[in-house]
Amino acid sequence: SLSSVLLMGKSGSGKTSMRSIIFANYIARDTRRLGATIDVEHSHVRFLGNLVLNLWDCGGQDTFMENYFTSQRDNIFRNVEVLIYIFDVESRELEKDMHYYQSCLEAILQNSPDAKVFCLVHKMDLVQEDQRDLIFKEREEDLKRLSRPLACTCFRTSIWDETLYKAWSSIVYQLIPNVQQLETNLRNFAQIIEADEVLLFERATFLVISHYQCKEQRDAHRFEKISNIIKQFKLSCSKLAASFQSMEVRNSNFAAFIDVFTSNTYVMVIMSDPSIPSAATLINIRNARKHFEKLERVDGPKHSLHMRMR
Amino acid sequence: MNIHTFLNVPFHVEPRNIVDNDPQERVSAEAAILNSRVHYYSRLTASSDRLLSPPNHVIPGPEELYIYSPLGTAFKVTGSDPSSKNPSIITIFAIWNTMMGTSILSIPWGMKQAGFTLGILILIFTGLLMLYCCFVVLKSPKAIPYVDTSDWEFPDVCRYYFGKFGQWSSLIFSMVSLIGAMVVYWVLMSNFLYNSGQFIYNYAHDVKMSDSEFGTNGSDKVICPFPNTNPRGNHSMGTLYLGNSGNETSSSDVSFEHWWSKTKTIPLYLIPLLLPLLCFRSASFFARFTFLGTISVVYLIALVTLKAVHLGFHLEFHWFDTTQFYVPEFRLLFPQFTGVLTLAFFIHNCIITLMKSNRNQENNVRDLSVAYLLVGLTYLYVGVLIFAAFPSPPLFKDCIEPNFLDNFPSSDVTVFVARTFLLFQMVTVYPLLGYLVRVQVMGQIFGNHYPSFFHILALNIIIVGAGVLMARFYPNIGSIIRFSGATCGLALVFIFPALVHMISRSRQGLLRWPSVLFHSFLIVLGIANLLAQFFI
Repeated sequence: SLSSVLLMGKSGSGKTSMRSIIFANYIARDTRRLGATIDVEHSHVRFLGNLVLNLWDCGGQDTFMENYFTSQRDNIFRNVEVLIYIFDVESRELEKDMHYYQSCLEAILQNSPDAKVFCLVHKMDLVQEDQRDLIFKEREEDLKRLSRPLACTCFRTSIWDETLYKAWSSIVYQLIPNVQQLETNLRNFAQIIEADEVLLFERATFLVISHYQCKEQRDAHRFEKISNIIKQFKLSCSKLAASFQSMEVRNSNFAAFIDVFTSNTYVMVIMSDPSIPSAATLINIRNARKHFEKLERVDGPKHSLHMRMR
Repeated sequence: MNIHTFLNVPFHVEPRNIVDNDPQERVSAEAAILNSRVHYYSRLTASSDRLLSPPNHVIPGPEELYIYSPLGTAFKVTGSDPSSKNPSIITIFAIWNTMMGTSILSIPWGMKQAGFTLGILILIFTGLLMLYCCFVVLKSPKAIPYVDTSDWEFPDVCRYYFGKFGQWSSLIFSMVSLIGAMVVYWVLMSNFLYNSGQFIYNYAHDVKMSDSEFGTNGSDKVICPFPNTNPRGNHSMGTLYLGNSGNETSSSDVSFEHWWSKTKTIPLYLIPLLLPLLCFRSASFFARFTFLGTISVVYLIALVTLKAVHLGFHLEFHWFDTTQFYVPEFRLLFPQFTGVLTLAFFIHNCIITLMKSNRNQENNVRDLSVAYLLVGLTYLYVGVLIFAAFPSPPLFKDCIEPNFLDNFPSSDVTVFVARTFLLFQMVTVYPLLGYLVRVQVMGQIFGNHYPSFFHILALNIIIVGAGVLMARFYPNIGSIIRFSGATCGLALVFIFPALVHMISRSRQGLLRWPSVLFHSFLIVLGIANLLAQFFI
């Protein structure tokens, strides 16, 4: 059985929108608001190798759904690598929300005690700007306290600013095996090929896991923009039943290459010296690929993923 | 299948010089990234789905919005775009202007039918009731989830809740109010044209008409055009409404009467003037003249004030009994007044569109209330002053005509000016109303606003024919107004808004018993209003 990433939260907290945005899934209107989300078997979203993303409405359903949830509990919470729990910051039933969260944690402790727990305080754009930090800090304290003995990492998010992208990038960063080694080698790679900037993306979501830049760049939002552009392109490709593999963008001032890298990642290389021919850079990337694949397979603490990769 | 793409032209351009370290940015970073997000999110849902649309608090202010030209330069959005927003005062004025129709001429008559005190109470009560129903109509598109209702009007809301039936019935009832208004316009235009022509003829031929009509003496003459239809009146008194009763009945006067008759010939004279105007393809030319309506109403208010000052007040309070000169304060004929008021306060078929251009949408409720208050005060002012100033000792209060200008002879100069103003204004509004009818009817039946000249001509002949027939055989605008008001009010003011409100609340799970009772009572009131027009 596959390992899963659970995306849970109260009905209406924003899980479907979040999945759609992060994983570039089309949301058809009729599939929403038909009661609680029952999403297990039909989820095709895989990332980080063999993780399956499952959405569950937790709390607030009718008794039928409650019973179904309770009866399926062990199935749902077994083999969980990651629990991402979403709290709607505007919710008026904080006690109830915490109660449901805690019961999910209990189930996790019983069935998948090694799982990582992340809490997202979502829809922060609805809070006034000067109060956001304060409110988030309060929630974070409560959540950390309630989550013991499990450790949870909290983020504040909104689909209308960069916080969503950054939160998920951090989450994915913690899930990539040997990520620090990857980063060191990435820097070496970049310096060898004289690239201006090199980015490492997670394959399914195009979240930036790691990057190297040799000088200051102006646009702080460029990672999210690239991610949005490529995801739109992937949506277009999927309409043709094609899948995106690689891309080269070039003008008189720069050349950028996006290509498959390891089984979990994509790489983007930006060269500002236009005299270097594309072929050279592509060969370099290809050679580096083999080296990085080996790196990913080297034993590290989180190798449950690697087992399934073979 | 894999695609190795060699892109020559990036599909996302920000006008920025990437070679030099030019500090000048034409686009703010937040706007640029929001643009990227909006682009991307719009790919994830259907175009009418609001789920991933940016909410208002997320969109930058207009000073940060840019329009890109294909050459890469960016222009700032300067102030007013085509759908510019109006401050509250303009919105209030637009609503007041739209609601002020010819029903203002019937308010004194309606007040007389209901009784003075009861009339005032009914005016306030009906105004409040219709204001509440207007709120319901205004809020109805917003309660619809997951659909973009930004360009919906109330018939679209009815279609959402009641399907084809809702769409067609709201259209038909809307037509009733429009065509009713057009028929009233024809009757009034015939009336005003007649009186204006009479005035000019009498002025030119120096004919004095002062003895031939039953009315007061003196300079501010008020007449009672149909004295022996007054059931309380002394039948021996007063002459019939005739032309000259003087000795000099010249043959030219008689033939003038023959060719210039309010009901027989003038309605036909208007046909060659107005039928061509109705057939114009676009009505935007006539929209320029809407200011005439405002001037007419202001002039009417001034006229009413002037007459009241000259005539003085003649009020006696007889609560339930009828006297020769006065009417009781409370009369059983009051449903006729509610019928008139339903049309007088009617704006429910276009309030959503009118309010859309309000700059501060959160003030919509307040602005609508202020508009209704002003309209109510205007009607109240005209009604009370005309009723109170009507010289009762020689005349009967029951003489107040459904068009109160009919109570003044055609020789009265100030009223002549009012009639001419109104005539000119109506001639310019009539094609606008015809255009609205045409757009809705043709649009619904044929899907095209101008299928062919013959379709339009046929429709216009029907409308004009109805007007001519009414002007010929039944020129009582009070009745036309109350019947069409009660009919269209039944659906568009009472039944549909109440049902829509109850259904949307029950879908949200917020429907409570007091609300059900109250809204069902509204529906009962609407039905009673219509039935009472027939039986009372």
